Amino acid sequence: MEFDGDVLTIDLGMSMEEIKGFEEFIRPRIEYIETIEIAEGGAFASSALLALLVSIKRTRPDIAIGFLDKAQHASPHYGTIHWKCHD
Amino acid sequence: MTKQEQVKAIFIEEAGEIIEKLDVDIIRFEENSSDFALLNEIFRGVHTLKGNANAFGFTRLGEFVHHFEDLLDYYRSTQEFIEEYNLELFVNSVDVIKEVMGCELDAIADLPQSYEECLAGIKKLLAMKKNGGDVLEPLPQEQMLNDLAAEFGLSCGEQLASSVDKAIEVFQTIQNGDLNLYKLELKLDEDCYARGFDHINFIKALGEGAQGIESFFDMQNIPSLEHFKSDVNKISSLFIVVLTTKIKSEIEEICEFLFDNEYAIVQIEKQSVPKQEQATLQSTEKTPLQPNLQQSAPQQATATEQSANAVKSTIRIDTMKLDELFDSVGELVIAQNFIAQNEKIRMIEDESIGRTIETLSKITKRIQDRVMSLRMVAIKDTFDKMKRVVRDTSKKTNKEIHLIVQGEETEIDKTMIDSLSDPLIHIIRNAIDHGLEANAQERTAAGKPTEGAVTLKAFHKSGSIVISVSDDGRGINKERVYQKAIERGIITGEENLSDSQIYSLIMQPGFSTAATISDLSGRGVGLDVVKTSIEKLRGKIEIESKEGVGTTFSMILPLTLAIIDGMLVRASEEIYIIPTLSVVESFRPEEEIVHMLKGKGEFVSLRGQHIPVVRLSDVFELQTKERLEPWEGILVCVETESGRIAVMVDELVGRQQVVIKSLGKSLAKLKEISGGAILGNGDIALILNVDELRPAIENANG
Repeated sequence: MEFDGDVLTIDLGMSMEEIKGFEEFIRPRIEYIETIEIAEGGAFASSALLALLVSIKRTRPDIAIGFLDKAQHASPHYGTIHWKCHD
Repeated sequence: MTKQEQVKAIFIEEAGEIIEKLDVDIIRFEENSSDFALLNEIFRGVHTLKGNANAFGFTRLGEFVHHFEDLLDYYRSTQEFIEEYNLELFVNSVDVIKEVMGCELDAIADLPQSYEECLAGIKKLLAMKKNGGDVLEPLPQEQMLNDLAAEFGLSCGEQLASSVDKAIEVFQTIQNGDLNLYKLELKLDEDCYARGFDHINFIKALGEGAQGIESFFDMQNIPSLEHFKSDVNKISSLFIVVLTTKIKSEIEEICEFLFDNEYAIVQIEKQSVPKQEQATLQSTEKTPLQPNLQQSAPQQATATEQSANAVKSTIRIDTMKLDELFDSVGELVIAQNFIAQNEKIRMIEDESIGRTIETLSKITKRIQDRVMSLRMVAIKDTFDKMKRVVRDTSKKTNKEIHLIVQGEETEIDKTMIDSLSDPLIHIIRNAIDHGLEANAQERTAAGKPTEGAVTLKAFHKSGSIVISVSDDGRGINKERVYQKAIERGIITGEENLSDSQIYSLIMQPGFSTAATISDLSGRGVGLDVVKTSIEKLRGKIEIESKEGVGTTFSMILPLTLAIIDGMLVRASEEIYIIPTLSVVESFRPEEEIVHMLKGKGEFVSLRGQHIPVVRLSDVFELQTKERLEPWEGILVCVETESGRIAVMVDELVGRQQVVIKSLGKSLAKLKEISGGAILGNGDIALILNVDELRPAIENANG
């Protein structure tokens, strides 16, 4: 996880413990972060990260999470996954 | 029954279905009055009703629907815009149809007053329309309707289902040879991460060696950060479409440690594709896990046509026959368990017998699941009816309501659906009438949007179905409820009650904290009836509330009325079954946390709470060799109407699903027992009614 100015870059392959750490990190800072980017080449290790990203977007809809807006991600590990947030 | 009576019975049944559908459709049309296809459907229903009503001499109903049909016909043929206040006339007309149908069936001479008023309104509107005059003016007291259309548009679930179907179509076109196509749905419980399960791991496991895999996450239930916890799963469902060489048992093996309600596997039939076309498709196949999603137009057309040709076939079956079938399957399960656990058979050292018994077990389980699914219907229809309840209550109370519906595809036992409507209606009315703030000013002062939110939700949780109604209103004043319960003599004030138990006091007979009584709720006779209705379904109601934030009523129901998930316990030499829905925990206590209170019996101190110990051997007056101390046995802590109790047993035997059998008239008098079940070894075990265990001991002690 890297925080550069108002851009936060995270790794998709976070474990549950890392995701909980990320959740704790972002809660008090959500108003200051403008963009969340995903480091290239990773793959989800837990669905909890996808849920957290959706929750963040739902809390602050103007935060830019380009990865989430694509609504799909492909990886040799698990094929293509899609998500629907109803927003 | 004569032939004429039989035909009349069929008419009454059909008319009931038509009116029920009209009730739902008219609200949908009110939300989107430009949907003329829906108006056509309403017209067809009314037209059928008219023909049948006149045929059976229900002339008053016939006359009303005749004029209503004319009005509908005018709008569907002209496709003219329908003003909001005229839509109200449509909705009222369906109400009148319902009432008049009741009058006709019961041969009641007096029609409701609304009959003439509504009929006059229909005639007047039609006359004005045909003569080119002005439309009816809205009544001054009429309120603008809430726009619920956005809520009831194409749901997230429907959009996902469409995407899943497309993925299946694509995979079907590249399916060849020994490749199998599956659709899996995972609905993991909230505690799945703690149990070591993660959606991603399932996708990875299924993807191993697969030709193609696509997964679809339904994220509509993910809350904002305020209510979010990373390690609590809120992903409603995940659909996985996988094209693989794996056979079904291998797929089932991947899911074998999940609860039955957490997953569903469907093997998709192969489509017959012309050889030449198949060859073209094979040449365009991609590497594993990367299916070819860009099909040419003619190929897509073929898949669509084939899909369209697969006509869905259904038949109507008398529910009595289904119940008989279900009973027979219950007997089959018992007989199969008996064979599988029979000592003499198990001693036969013959591999083929072992294999046959195993196969029999699998087939029996499959038949049981299939028959169970026949009784299951989506709760959507019931939820649809509730939209009308919310709309009407919103108008009566002058409160703006935003209705949120979630999980309407959740399936529930058909026999429970019919008994659920009334409790749901009451809870929803209660939520709007008393749960929400009195007016918009009060909400604004509390820092809330003027529009109140009511959420209707259905979901599976740990083998049960939960139907909840939440409001974002005032919440329940716990202290006031507690004091009122003491005043009314419902409690003495000495009880050690949890928050949930204090809130539950509002469901006691005669309890009401409402300052005023309305025609909707607040008479103090409703919630106890709701509670009784749910308990008749072997369910329970839990109330959560936070003052100033809102209240949630959760109805926790078993998946079916015929089978329960039970914990088998032994007391003396007898086996009893405790419904797991009421079990909180089980433990062997330390000696120092067990106390004897003079005149009140044994108690166990658990995390600051004093829980009475109820010895099963005392309740049923069982013969025991020696009287064990609580720390020598096992205590099963269960939730009852009057608080938690610790049931003392000798041993925990196991947990299993049992088919409930009634006990006959003589044993039905024993309140401590709610039924019986035949175990795998042929023995009979009694199912405990935990609410009556403590009273049984107290009565015995005088």
